[in-house]
Amino acid sequence: MPTDTISAPFDIYRYRPGKDAAPRYQRFTLELTPHTPVLTALLKIRAEIDPSLGLRYSCRSAICGSCAMQINSKSRLACETHIGPEVERHGRIVVEPMRNQPVLRDLVVDQSPFWREYDKIEPHLKLDPRHPMPEGKATSMSPAQVDRFKETPRCIACAACYSACPAVEADPAFPGPMALAKLYRFVVDPRDTATQDRLVRIQPNGLWLCLRCHLCTEACPKDVRPSERIRDLKEMAIAAQGGTELGSRHAIGFKENLKGGGLLNEMKLVRATSGLAGMAGQVGQGIRVWRKKPEIMKRPRTIEGMDEVEKIYAALDPPPKEEP
Amino acid sequence: MRIAYYPGCVAQESGKELDMATRWVCRALGIELVEFPNFSCCGSGFVDEANEVLNIAINARNLAIAEKAGLDILTICSTCQGMLTLAKVRMQDPKVKARVDGALKPLGIEYKGTVQVKHLLRVLTQDIGLPAVKAKVRRPLQGMKVGAFYGCHLLRPADEMGSESAEEPHSFEDLLTAVGATPVDYRGRVMCCGFPIQFVKPSTASAIAGRQILDAKAHGADAMATPCPLCHLSLDAYQNKAAKEVHAPLDMPVFHLPQVVGLAFGASPEELGLSRHLVPTDAALAKVRSPASA
Repeated sequence: MPTDTISAPFDIYRYRPGKDAAPRYQRFTLELTPHTPVLTALLKIRAEIDPSLGLRYSCRSAICGSCAMQINSKSRLACETHIGPEVERHGRIVVEPMRNQPVLRDLVVDQSPFWREYDKIEPHLKLDPRHPMPEGKATSMSPAQVDRFKETPRCIACAACYSACPAVEADPAFPGPMALAKLYRFVVDPRDTATQDRLVRIQPNGLWLCLRCHLCTEACPKDVRPSERIRDLKEMAIAAQGGTELGSRHAIGFKENLKGGGLLNEMKLVRATSGLAGMAGQVGQGIRVWRKKPEIMKRPRTIEGMDEVEKIYAALDPPPKEEP
Repeated sequence: MRIAYYPGCVAQESGKELDMATRWVCRALGIELVEFPNFSCCGSGFVDEANEVLNIAINARNLAIAEKAGLDILTICSTCQGMLTLAKVRMQDPKVKARVDGALKPLGIEYKGTVQVKHLLRVLTQDIGLPAVKAKVRRPLQGMKVGAFYGCHLLRPADEMGSESAEEPHSFEDLLTAVGATPVDYRGRVMCCGFPIQFVKPSTASAIAGRQILDAKAHGADAMATPCPLCHLSLDAYQNKAAKEVHAPLDMPVFHLPQVVGLAFGASPEELGLSRHLVPTDAALAKVRSPASA
């Protein structure tokens, strides 16, 4: 049964660095069925209207990860994003290159920043040369061990997470969601012998810049859930090393803070994280806020049933070892 | 309706104006807020980073308190909403539940999983409903262009939060329209405010906040509105630092969600604690056109 077509206006980002004075958006309006993938439409534009349109793609089946781009501001695979809902919601389809990577031409970006961060985490098993894997024999892993990294191998390195990440956008010191999710995969691999070293090295190298905004998990077409793996890394880093960074000190400080009375004591937390010297640097801002919000200096009340909270802490902090 | 009021720490401390505005709006709509002085902090995402199972347990205790009273929970902070909901989701895993119950049961605390956790945005748009909200409007905010700033934890991770589309949410804009304001569409509305790393790297945190404010401004917003007091701290209390990071004057008034509703319902700026903001809200209030009948 034929499906009715809709009129789909595409506004496509066009830019040739070094040749064009500035990026522009070019309008193409196509009659297509609502279930047409954006990639199919782009290939039709290139084949039938403008052969100069630059884009990257390969498999057209959400396997290769080549066609990630921004579609109406969302970092997505063009091959699995249908035009119907986009036109319905936005009246048009704005197609732009991924963010956080320099544009080479139109929708094609230079992915080297993304791959550089990936290389930095040393994404390979580090084995102990004194205990090589038995020749010709598979190493065995329990289902529970495999379960810990069942999501991360699904990654197709499309960089949609890297494009969506506000920490990457604001700070080159952040390795990005994909590199950290990959790091997690090696940290929990029972064959890897560099777990402690990996955790110690990532702490001062961007781990604590993750905002836990979950935009990466939202962007990921393969449900790798990088933000949740980064959370896991943070807890493992604290267990391995304690509070060596501002980020880990803040997390530990917050946890300890609630033991005081069950509600957050803001001033005490700032002191625990930044120390007295760090606090001194924030005096000006503190006074500005205090003049409007004097409660920041006040000790909060102690909640009723605080003894229950204390007992929960006693039972679960540090967390008891899980049954293997 | 009766609901267990979970104000969270900030609204009881430096974000007191959010608590004031919430009480005013709920009174106007006949929502009875039942208070539980034994609710603890939700851990704000930080306890979760330090010790996940502990974080689930303290929130399971919070959930159990309301559950025992037969009430759902009302939150007014995206992070509280996120943490309480996440605890609910994690407790569906029998292994996690067994570990947490091991700590709660000896205290006589039983968490069954029947309690719902609802942010004020959801209560207003779904439980009370937009027609009932509209019916209370005395001073429509006509002429005020507002950028709804959802932030993160009301929406994501979407599988857990699951109240509406995380990429294309619209309930906040629907609410703004219902009170007569004009919502502004901008990418930053679903982005992060930067607050979680305010103590880790303030310059990066403020740069992130600044980008979202600039984006709202570039799309014509007279003001922003947020469902989260942590976003409010980032966007309002630290806006001076954000302006420095993005090298641009911002001067963007930022409202808490119930303040916008309260204004339209006829509450005075004093009743809504507007003078407690760091960025004055006068310029945005001046945009409201007098009703034709006045």
